[in-house]
Amino acid sequence: MKANKIPIGPFHPLLEEAEYFELTVDGETVVDIDMEIGWMHRGHEYISEMKTFTQSIYLVERICGICSTSHPIACVHAIEDIDNIEIPVRARYIRTLVGELERIHSHLLWLGLAGHFIGYDTLWMWAWKYREPVLEMFEIISGNRNHYGMMRVGGVAQDLDSAKVVELYKHLDMIEKKMVMISKAAKDDPVLKSRLKGVGVLSHEDAIAYCTVGPTSRASGVPGDVRLDEPTDAYDLVDFNRIVLQNGDVYDKLVVRVLETFESIKIVRQCLDKLTTVTGPVLNNVKEISPGEGIGRYEAPRGEVFHYIRSDGTNRPIRHKVRAPSYVNIPSFKASCKGIPIADALITLASVDPCYCCTERSLKIIDKNHDPCSFDLLKASREKTERIRREINAD
Amino acid sequence: MAEVEQFIRDMGAKIHAKIEKKRRLYFNVSNDDIQEIAEYLFKKMGCRLSTATAMEMYHGIEILYHFSLDKTGQYFCPRVVIKDKKNPKVNSIASIIEGAVWIEREMFDLWGIEFIGHPRMEELLTINHPGTVKHPLRFKEAA
Repeated sequence: MKANKIPIGPFHPLLEEAEYFELTVDGETVVDIDMEIGWMHRGHEYISEMKTFTQSIYLVERICGICSTSHPIACVHAIEDIDNIEIPVRARYIRTLVGELERIHSHLLWLGLAGHFIGYDTLWMWAWKYREPVLEMFEIISGNRNHYGMMRVGGVAQDLDSAKVVELYKHLDMIEKKMVMISKAAKDDPVLKSRLKGVGVLSHEDAIAYCTVGPTSRASGVPGDVRLDEPTDAYDLVDFNRIVLQNGDVYDKLVVRVLETFESIKIVRQCLDKLTTVTGPVLNNVKEISPGEGIGRYEAPRGEVFHYIRSDGTNRPIRHKVRAPSYVNIPSFKASCKGIPIADALITLASVDPCYCCTERSLKIIDKNHDPCSFDLLKASREKTERIRREINAD
Repeated sequence: MAEVEQFIRDMGAKIHAKIEKKRRLYFNVSNDDIQEIAEYLFKKMGCRLSTATAMEMYHGIEILYHFSLDKTGQYFCPRVVIKDKKNPKVNSIASIIEGAVWIEREMFDLWGIEFIGHPRMEELLTINHPGTVKHPLRFKEAA
């Protein structure tokens, strides 16, 4: 059998982000995978050392366009950790509200992409349609649909008046109703279940060995969730459940995200309830940061975002380390992709939500003689779904 | 916290310059002891390696590892200081923790720190850079 190498990426007009995967396949089976990153390296850590603490918060907000409030929250946590800065109760609820809304829109975005990759375009259109009201909620809260500029050391930048809270309730009620519909379409559909069950399994042991985080690890039975392990902001003031499943396959990763979306809706509702009763300032005046070091982390939609900041007592950090969740989740492909059929490779790579889309369209196979031949990974993935659909309908 | 006290009791002789804060423990360890400390934290205590931070200071290059004990929210941060700035070398923990492979490769790439025993000591972020980039985060000596 001839071993082929399949390069995926790194650049293509339809590629949202640049990543490079090289699959080694033996016939229809993936036998190895290699990954290269660095195509998007922008030197944020170095730039941050030339900015003031407040400017750094805006800088890290631009690391990711999807989870653009997770980095600022982790960043302010790290700065606050240096001096044990307390923040007002009302600000804690606003931070949690913004963070959880981001989780809802990010999980809906992933759900849509997952549907698209396996040929469920209806799911894709529904998920993205009902992600839109979440972005409108951000607009009500901050004035922006993305890059909200809400986080400050010692609290948040803007308060919410009662008229805005009423508007947010209306949007949330609608999103909750639609999520019930999307949830049924995603996790109770027999074709989808057959297509994703047992695909791209990341075992419990591998999830620990690769130090994975977020839904990727929680779908493999590793219970880590920063919101409950080290509750900051209002997470110790609201009631919600930790979602942990055991199989580690793509289906469990999907179910974790769907269930977490409902938990996030629950948290958002509790925050809105409290914002109608809890009054007071939303920002403590922090004039200077002492010399020292601090660790800040936050449970982003993809897992723990980690920031480390070291201060020498001036108004800027002397070291600012950032570690995003995909950085530790992507190496786990080495474990989850080996031995899977090539038609499952795309959805397995997408299952950790590494923020790439349409990657498959830059794909070609190069055989040992370096002769390219066309192969469409998206087509293979959709054909497998269609095959399963026909089999189920025939029964 | 019971876990911190147990760790200090078991590894006390290897821990120097300890700084304790709420849910944070920073301490220095020697290069010879880092593998044993990493193995204890990862395998015995069940910590997760979150990441590691390299820093160039006046007294040398520091590597600060961040181990998270997720069940309590406690962070253990062993720090290795390498005095030899021109030829920084430290023992790799990638053979103990698979998740350290990329973390150490990144420090090799950006800071020029060689990890002894690493299975694939090559660039991670600048591997496909079109120009000549070598350890971009190291201080450049004045001409």
